[in-house]
Amino acid sequence: MLADALEHLVRGIVEHPDDVQVRDKQMRRGSVLEVRVHPSDLGKVIGRGGRTATAFRTVVGSLAGPGGARIDFVDVDRRR
Amino acid sequence: MSDQLTDPHNDAEQQTTQAPDATSADEAADGAEAPESPSKRAQKLEQEGEIAADYLEELLEIADLDGDLDMDVEGDRATVSIVGAELPELVGEDGEVLDALQELTRLAVYRETGERSRLMLDVSGHRADRRADLERTAESVIAQVRESGERAELDPMTPFERKVVHDAVAAAGLRSESEGVEPRRYVVVLPA
Repeated sequence: MLADALEHLVRGIVEHPDDVQVRDKQMRRGSVLEVRVHPSDLGKVIGRGGRTATAFRTVVGSLAGPGGARIDFVDVDRRR
Repeated sequence: MSDQLTDPHNDAEQQTTQAPDATSADEAADGAEAPESPSKRAQKLEQEGEIAADYLEELLEIADLDGDLDMDVEGDRATVSIVGAELPELVGEDGEVLDALQELTRLAVYRETGERSRLMLDVSGHRADRRADLERTAESVIAQVRESGERAELDPMTPFERKVVHDAVAAAGLRSESEGVEPRRYVVVLPA
């Protein structure tokens, strides 16, 4: 549900909604929602000073309940 | 397009830093709009509300949350309220989730219209309740400033909250300004 909710929220604000992918990645220390967007949309989902990224984290973290949610905006250009 | 110049937040932040008396996008945006006919303006605000409601409705569905969407136009801005359920997960402590969701919703509107939106989001009457509280606070501070003839500083508030206080002070015929830096920016009520 969280990945779907985040995907919907991100898709609604970017220029290339079809390029948005959110993956719920299971890590040793809990799960991480990995967000991939079109490279030209990365600045938009992060926002100045990370303001938009923080808004995504606040909303999805609250939907997740206690413990919150970890969100990673992946810079696909840097292929990390 | 991730061009920084087209990001509505950048405009908002620049206005915040450039206008010493205006304290946020919400408070500063009035002079920024090009003149247009009232009916066209009303139509645009209705359209903003519809885009916002679509964005939020789907979120409610995905998150399996109850709530109906109520759209309106108040003065010069579109308002969307999620009503009919408590939804604390969409309000958060001190309305922080509500503010974040409002910000994302404004960006969703911006994506569709290409224009910065000042849309106001409310969830289960949270802002309405907060507004009533703030108006009571403002009233007592106004009375105190009138009596003492000295300026009074309020607690740090969000842009929305400061706007409510500024409006109440102006309605009472006094002046106020904002001081400090976000997120600890606060209203100062000045003596007549």
